[in-house]
Amino acid sequence: MKHVSRPLMLGAAFLVMAAVVPAAFAATPNDQLVIGTSLAQVLSLDPQQGTEVKTQEILANTYDRLVAFDPETSELFGQLAESWDVDDTGITFHLRDAKFASGNPVTAADAVFSLVRLFKMDQSAAAGLKTFGYNSDNAETLITAVDEKTLRVDFADKVIPEALLYRLANGVGSVVDSVEVQKHVVNNDYGNEWLRTNTAGSGPFVLNRWSPNEIVLLERNPNFWGAEPAMTRVMFRHVPESQAARLMMERGDIDIANALTAPDVRYFQAQDGFAIDQAKTGGFYALAMNAGREPLNDPKVREIIAAYGIDYAGIAETIVGPYGRVRNVPAPEDWENAIPNPDWSFRPEEAKEMLAEAGYPDGFSLTIKTIAQPPRVDMATAIQANLAEIGITANVIQGNGSDIVSQHRARDFDLLIPQTSAADPTALGSLDNFTNNPDNSAEANNAGNFVWRSDWDIPELNALRVEANSELDPAKRGELVKQLQEDFIASNPAVFPMFERFEPVVVNVRVDGYDAHPWGLTRLEDVSKGDAN
Amino acid sequence: MKEFTLLELGRRVGQLLVSLFLLLVVTFVIGRVLPTDPVGAIVGELADPAAYEAMRQRLGLDLPVYQQFWVYLTSLLQGDLGTAILTGNPVLEDLSRAFPATLELATLAIILSTIIGVPLGMSAAFFRDSWFDQFARVISLVGHSIPVFWFGIVGLVIFYATLNWVGGPGRIDIYLEGLVEPKTGLLLIDSLLAGDTEVFWNAVNHIILPACILAYSAMAYITRMTRSFTLEQLNQDYVVAARAKGASNWRIVTGHLLPNIAVQLVTVLAISYGGLLEGAVVTEVVFSWPGIGQYMTNALMIGDMNAVVAGTLIIGFIFMLLNFLSDLAYLVLDPRTREVTA
Repeated sequence: MKHVSRPLMLGAAFLVMAAVVPAAFAATPNDQLVIGTSLAQVLSLDPQQGTEVKTQEILANTYDRLVAFDPETSELFGQLAESWDVDDTGITFHLRDAKFASGNPVTAADAVFSLVRLFKMDQSAAAGLKTFGYNSDNAETLITAVDEKTLRVDFADKVIPEALLYRLANGVGSVVDSVEVQKHVVNNDYGNEWLRTNTAGSGPFVLNRWSPNEIVLLERNPNFWGAEPAMTRVMFRHVPESQAARLMMERGDIDIANALTAPDVRYFQAQDGFAIDQAKTGGFYALAMNAGREPLNDPKVREIIAAYGIDYAGIAETIVGPYGRVRNVPAPEDWENAIPNPDWSFRPEEAKEMLAEAGYPDGFSLTIKTIAQPPRVDMATAIQANLAEIGITANVIQGNGSDIVSQHRARDFDLLIPQTSAADPTALGSLDNFTNNPDNSAEANNAGNFVWRSDWDIPELNALRVEANSELDPAKRGELVKQLQEDFIASNPAVFPMFERFEPVVVNVRVDGYDAHPWGLTRLEDVSKGDAN
Repeated sequence: MKEFTLLELGRRVGQLLVSLFLLLVVTFVIGRVLPTDPVGAIVGELADPAAYEAMRQRLGLDLPVYQQFWVYLTSLLQGDLGTAILTGNPVLEDLSRAFPATLELATLAIILSTIIGVPLGMSAAFFRDSWFDQFARVISLVGHSIPVFWFGIVGLVIFYATLNWVGGPGRIDIYLEGLVEPKTGLLLIDSLLAGDTEVFWNAVNHIILPACILAYSAMAYITRMTRSFTLEQLNQDYVVAARAKGASNWRIVTGHLLPNIAVQLVTVLAISYGGLLEGAVVTEVVFSWPGIGQYMTNALMIGDMNAVVAGTLIIGFIFMLLNFLSDLAYLVLDPRTREVTA
């Protein structure tokens, strides 16, 4: 025994040595900001392609847009545009003196190049502006450079100028360095291959390194036109496991965590030294019903499920938590012109009786499809239990993102739990997802459209939405917006919101000036850090 | 004899290539049959059908599967593993970045599990049915049955968050990122090459916990196998004879037992090492370890089949290579196999 245990002792000695090695655990340096997040969905840093929320925060700091809006007040302000004039046919932007990180001056030609590029590439990113009538054919005629510092954007349709400005404030409106990008065009790809993994912007930071699923490292842009940011480096670290991120937050190894599960966010609510910033995204966790399938094609059945069959309050309390609140009208509760929530609550006995009256005394079976991600998976399970109480047997089918989305696009589901985001921070922008379906025919193949995917034909609602969108008088428009919401609720919707969607961000109190943006476009140029406690 | 070994070598290499090809075919077909939608992952869910179709064509996914396979195979033979949808980089470049991270972790884990598992297993056999044997059995049973995920989190809570002994998730503290130029991709080696001891010790601090946790389950297996190999040998006449001649335990272990179980041990270690390289997925997720396991998990989630197929091939290749090497080790370590085959 004496002899045999020698290797054991060596092993143990090695472990002890490793454990007591002087640990270089300084807290994160004061001029470096570390954000713990999930980079798993970050597939492209091309601003005219990548739409994922975590991508937006990287874009927001490496590029400037013409305009941006304040996360608190939703008020628009100029970023590259020093000012703008609105007239009956369009908007003229006057650009500030700015340089790209490359040293090239920012000109109106760059802005034209960027916006036209968006429509030419014509991917998901273009969808928001395309609903305003822009497309790959007319973009070059409608978006033009008047001179080096003046940009003209003509209206394609009759639109509300403010709504157009909000859409330009999106990440897709980022202005890229056309001189730099054009050097990297391959096979008419508008420089897409290159721009996916490189940045060419004028924002406060530049991309130093992106190791997928590991780290995104931004460094201060020496050519930035604004005040010098306090941070020399900003690092996004991939921490896919929420509990691991929580421990890193506690230990001070990361300053900000924005991909935590609800229990981990709740944990920090009770801890000193941390603040929780709740970005109200303006989007929703929704329930899509397939109105093209029996028995969901019966409006009565849809009404029973939506208004009496789901325990919204219970799910909000036990599952959604810091990620949202109950809301069944597709305009966030505290936005201008939003109407109060309808009285939809879980009443299983009534629901059961109504189902019998509607011709389903023994209920029926259907499936609930969802992306296997919290809190959506848990929502699906809770809804399954609720429906069981009213006699509907629901089977939950989980899948990964691309899997479930393609079935949604193909109208291949009974019930499905998608999430949405607002096209702009106005009630009308938010209603757009839920009341827009110009042509419900299968031939239209409008797979990018939310309502079309539910096979829900809504000519009246659609007409009212179009009318509201072209009403330039704010007071009249406000009335139309309220009407639109009331009509929506009354129409037994086949796709409706269940919960307003928040993105909780846990911030160490050392960090000053971090203001989470509803669309993830959080700028870090004014962020500073105090000493560790 | 030498000629025969060369012939044998050639035959084995041939086998390896055929197995790899079959692995490629199976992975490729499964990948194309799976209901994932890489096109949607790129163009986004709100994309226009025309843009969607254009991207599908650009990726060559509109071709019949056998043509896609042919295109893949011909470029593979030219050393091109395609472009990863996940990152936009050539898959080879991604893998050459992710693989060293896993290699480093798995290598440390196999070293740890060997230097603990082998003596533990031998001692357990030596003192069969003693308290020590029971202890070794409990240790290996626990290592075998506890989920790595749970183990990882508990390890982080105790050794990282509470005791402050080790570094947290990731390969290095984030403020030290990018200070050392990657040469081999193995951070421990690169930092030593660069002479940066702060980075080296920081990396040691970060790797030690995931390596120990990964090592534990492998160690459990190695301990059990070593114990049974040793027991088998202990009953052999030569050990009894050695004992009768008055050889010490130490002499018996180093002079007789180890050489005799070495061949079987090499196979066990090779299998364990292959398993560690392939099976670090959960550990990598818990510890935010940017290795091949995490890379392939994410690739699979979005249907990035170029990345998945290439990753599978590499892991399959290593597995087969380890098997091949352990077979060669047989020839070197055990003269009897040489004689029999010759």
